[in-house]
Amino acid sequence: MVTTIVPLIGRRLLISIVILLIVSALLFIVLHVLPVDPAAMSMPPTATTAEIDAKRREMGLDLPLSRQYLIWLSHILRGDFGTSIHFRRGVLSLIATTLPATIELAVLSMIVASLIGIVGGLLLFHVRGKPGEHVLDLGSIVLLSIPEFLWALFFILLFGVALHLLPFTGRLDPDLRLPSITGFLLVDALVAGRGDIFRSAVQHMILPCLALGLAFSPTIMRVLRSSLMDVYQDDYIHQARLRGLSERRILTHHALKNAILPTVSLMGVQFGFLFGGTLLVELIFSYPGLGNLMVDAVRNADLPIIQAVGLTYCAVVLIVNTAVDTLYLVLNPKLRIR
Amino acid sequence: MMRAWPHWMRSGRVITGLIIIAAILVCAVFAPWLAPHDPNEQNLLAALAPPAWLEGGDPAFPLGTDSLGRCVLSRLLYGARVAMTVAVLASLGAMVIGAVLSYLAGYFGGYADALIGRAVDVWMSFPPVILSLILMVGLGTGLRNVVLAIVLVDWTRFCRVLRGEVLVVARKDYVAAARLLGFSHWRTITREIVPGSLPLLITLISLEMGIAVIVEAILSFVGLSVSAQTPAWGQMIADARQSIHDAPWNLLFPILMIFIAVFGFNMLGDGLRRTLDVRLTATERA
Amino acid sequence: MTVEVLVARDLTVTAALAGRPLPVIGELNFKLARGRLLGLVGESGAGKSMIGRAIAQLLPHGFAVTRGELMFDGEDLVRMPPADRRELLGREIAFIPQEPLSALNPVLTIGRQIDEHLRRLGVTGTRARQERALAMLDAVHLAQGRDLLRKYPHQLSGGMCQRVLIAMAFASRPKLIVADEPTTALDVTIQARIVKLIAEMQQRDGTSVILITHDLRLAAQICDDILVLYAGRMAEYGPARRVLAGPAHPYTRCLQLSNPPMSGARRGLYVLPERMPGLSALASMTGCPFAPRCPSVVADCARAPPVFAEIEPGRGAACPRHDTTARIVAPALAPANAAGCAALLLDVKGLSKTFRAHHGFFRGTSVDAVKNVDMTLHENEFIGIVGESGSGKSTVARMLVGLERPSAGRVVIAGRDVSDGGAAAGAHQRAHAQMVFQDPQSALNPRRRVAAIVTQALEATGAATSQERLARAGELLCEIGLPGEVAMRLPAQLSGGQRQRVNIARALAAAPRILIADEIVSGLDVSVQAQLLDLLLRLRRQRGLSLLFISHDLSVVRYLCDRVLVMYRGEVVESGPTAEVFAAPKHAYTRRLLAAVPPDDPSVAWTPDEVEAGRARSLSHG
Repeated sequence: MVTTIVPLIGRRLLISIVILLIVSALLFIVLHVLPVDPAAMSMPPTATTAEIDAKRREMGLDLPLSRQYLIWLSHILRGDFGTSIHFRRGVLSLIATTLPATIELAVLSMIVASLIGIVGGLLLFHVRGKPGEHVLDLGSIVLLSIPEFLWALFFILLFGVALHLLPFTGRLDPDLRLPSITGFLLVDALVAGRGDIFRSAVQHMILPCLALGLAFSPTIMRVLRSSLMDVYQDDYIHQARLRGLSERRILTHHALKNAILPTVSLMGVQFGFLFGGTLLVELIFSYPGLGNLMVDAVRNADLPIIQAVGLTYCAVVLIVNTAVDTLYLVLNPKLRIR
Repeated sequence: MMRAWPHWMRSGRVITGLIIIAAILVCAVFAPWLAPHDPNEQNLLAALAPPAWLEGGDPAFPLGTDSLGRCVLSRLLYGARVAMTVAVLASLGAMVIGAVLSYLAGYFGGYADALIGRAVDVWMSFPPVILSLILMVGLGTGLRNVVLAIVLVDWTRFCRVLRGEVLVVARKDYVAAARLLGFSHWRTITREIVPGSLPLLITLISLEMGIAVIVEAILSFVGLSVSAQTPAWGQMIADARQSIHDAPWNLLFPILMIFIAVFGFNMLGDGLRRTLDVRLTATERA
Repeated sequence: MTVEVLVARDLTVTAALAGRPLPVIGELNFKLARGRLLGLVGESGAGKSMIGRAIAQLLPHGFAVTRGELMFDGEDLVRMPPADRRELLGREIAFIPQEPLSALNPVLTIGRQIDEHLRRLGVTGTRARQERALAMLDAVHLAQGRDLLRKYPHQLSGGMCQRVLIAMAFASRPKLIVADEPTTALDVTIQARIVKLIAEMQQRDGTSVILITHDLRLAAQICDDILVLYAGRMAEYGPARRVLAGPAHPYTRCLQLSNPPMSGARRGLYVLPERMPGLSALASMTGCPFAPRCPSVVADCARAPPVFAEIEPGRGAACPRHDTTARIVAPALAPANAAGCAALLLDVKGLSKTFRAHHGFFRGTSVDAVKNVDMTLHENEFIGIVGESGSGKSTVARMLVGLERPSAGRVVIAGRDVSDGGAAAGAHQRAHAQMVFQDPQSALNPRRRVAAIVTQALEATGAATSQERLARAGELLCEIGLPGEVAMRLPAQLSGGQRQRVNIARALAAAPRILIADEIVSGLDVSVQAQLLDLLLRLRRQRGLSLLFISHDLSVVRYLCDRVLVMYRGEVVESGPTAEVFAAPKHAYTRRLLAAVPPDDPSVAWTPDEVEAGRARSLSHG
């Protein structure tokens, strides 16, 4: 099995790199038809036109677009992501401090979404044909209609303003400090043995993860239900019944193993959406992650950050997609063995 | 009387969805007549007034006022214009691009399919929120650009779903039979393949409209949608967030509007999917 | 322990459709003794599969046993508590399915699935189960058992999967096995081996088997007793050979005569008009359900339903006029037009097709689907191509009409070489040769009405007005024997036979001189098949049509075609006049094909190539 999977993963990674290159080019093009002039943005308002022109030459903005792109690309490959116009810090260090927070958030949210989604899907499947089906189905449509930022705002209203139960800004209580090792707060806190930091971090993550999890669970629920319904039409389920297997065994050993395939595939796609959704959730909860960095950059037309962060989002999604594809290959023998 | 209606209209979900959408459309189209005030008219003395039925409320401002004293109800009604315009135009645009590419990819297969498939892969490696943000940065604000941005991001949603379906249908014998009888490629696609995919298209459009409303709300929340002069629901949320402790209801109303609009589109889409799909499989099985 | 394993008394299954209960099976009475093989024969809609489901008590939603009892070893299956019934399934009662490839879980290995079954049967210990599994595979003549256990179902052929399923069914030495059309989905040569395998294992274990089939000849050869069903009712029952040597019920006799013969003098087919009544039609009928189509019908037949009565000990029929059945004969064969000096319509030389599949950037496999095929077709001639799956016959057909480009070779139609694939060549090709596709499900656009489908050829040029099109549709429908009212229906509202007629009409509308029919009668009931064959012969007489008929069914080809080509793995291994090839086959494959068809005469022994010889081959072919 390993021998067939490795070349397939290798191919996927190669394609991912090509995709990253294409995306970086597209990003570059889109951002350089800006009506905004980054040179002017980085100079004080009293600067003269000559000084702005000089700055523009210094930043290389007078070169043809393709050359600018190649220069930028060569910098990226050397690890130099440029300097933020607004923050006046290296972009790479900015990303390094914020990316782990977003990944932590995204991973935990995906786990929440998957749990709710799978349990919900099994529940929806279980009540089919029974009186509760209509209600639960409508419930899933209601859930579908509430995007993550609405959940976030609603939670702030409910738990922050009305009930004062949970914190809704930042990652930690402001007076707690922890030197960062991996950047993943939960991991660092456990490693350092600081239970109070761990608890505070978890408290701060409950609402954001719940917002993302609730927003992205209904699709998973519905796909699992419809996959199960499809699978139950298949002949081998009927044959298993004819061999006298119990309904429970049929569900766990035959039906779910097949229905999980399209569900896993969908979960991979959903992660891409969820990862984008972290931006809003971070904005609303003032969570110091990649999303907040991006929004600041966008508001300040800080091109280097926008480009680099855009690429980062893309890279993360591609890595996760490759991982999900690998998982799918492992689960589906038809694809790995001819 | 109900019997005279087409089959798909008899679904409760479809009717619910249509009623909700119709109500919002009415709000949007007739906003100038329905709104009690000009949405941009500021009354700084009456800022952050609560809704009329609460203590301290003013019946002149049925749903209260925001931080600049603007009437919340009027802003909601005018905001519906932006939402509906974006919903309709963006989903139609995304559908046209996505559908055309799907038909080409699915029917011709081979290189066309590989190329378009790769393009979809590239597009989908970007979270849509991030991509639409970046596009708005590149294109600049304004209603036309919002629609364009959503079209450019969401055509992949149509393409991905439709392409699978078209790939299956294009391999059916009746498509080959049409070619054998002398149909040109164009005629084969439009007469044999497109009609079968119409139910799916219609369902996808309704769902896409809901998504377009959400994306527009996100963009105006971040401040990258229409100009500040035009009221939009996301913008109202961003404003209300500043004064969340003093006037929490200002946050609630636009949230509710967005939810109701999206819920309406989702109900319509789901209802259509059930009635149109079921009829198809039932007749194919009969 | 009773003598009878299964006794059905007055068994009635009804379906609740549109509010009214309609009987699907009515008043079934039969006994299956220990160690006997009972054949349940009937066409589609006769209710034979319902019996299998009734035994398992896994009836579809809306169906229920409303009367009677089904006694298994003395206990009533219908009234048994579900838990007890589930105990029996897989242990005392086992099933062999129709579609072997989809009957196994695609994500579990064969070994895991057999292991699960053995665990249910109470075999403890992993080692013991593995050894038992290997023994099971050996018993069904599957070699290299250890490797096989590690494989997934999609890596096996249909025949191999079916052997695994048979092994699982016999594993518990059940008292009763129900095999529902176990060979319909398999190739002809594999069919024979599988059927023989079931018979062999049945004899070895003394199991009682119910074999559900539509194939009378097959039932005659291997079944001890036979029960013929019509519209959910018993038509005839008795020892298989006796029943088929001299049927009592007119339906049995007509069915027998609808089957094209494989030996003896050529005769016409008995064409039963119309179809078996459906459920709702049946509910409104009084009297015998077969009466509208019966050649022995008298006025009394429509008044009261016939009583199933015993004719001799062990034989019964539901027809009071059973003594007149022997007088039903097949019509004489219409004289074929002299094929002597007819013009050469189709000339094919060296036709080949290689498919290249790309798996990745650098690797690619190529498959030689068709290798060097030569053939000719004259005016007013019917020729047949026979072969099993993978023989390349469909690819040849597609190349002849232009759906595929030949990799090599020449196709000359009516004097013009059309192999280059250019537009003018394509137009010439389309004007002369049209194809009728196999699968009625995917051959007709579900959204087009029949009138629009049959006149589709006119639509391409856009020349005809809708009036003209309707008129033409009417003409075509009349020509293919469908009533005019069908014109406004959708394909979903037609039966399989009607859909195939519409399929043919569509091809005819383009007025081709050559019709290429790719497996158009496979999957149809025998009586419907006879109607279509009759139609094809009539079209030949009326239109001077030439036909290239592709089929895996040798009896149909023998009946219909003047000449035949036998294809195996892309090559033509034998060709010639049908009578000669079938009477004295030269190639070993042709001989194997012919031997795989059960003989017409039930008293003649059936010897397909023996299972021993098949053992080595079962590795690759199943």
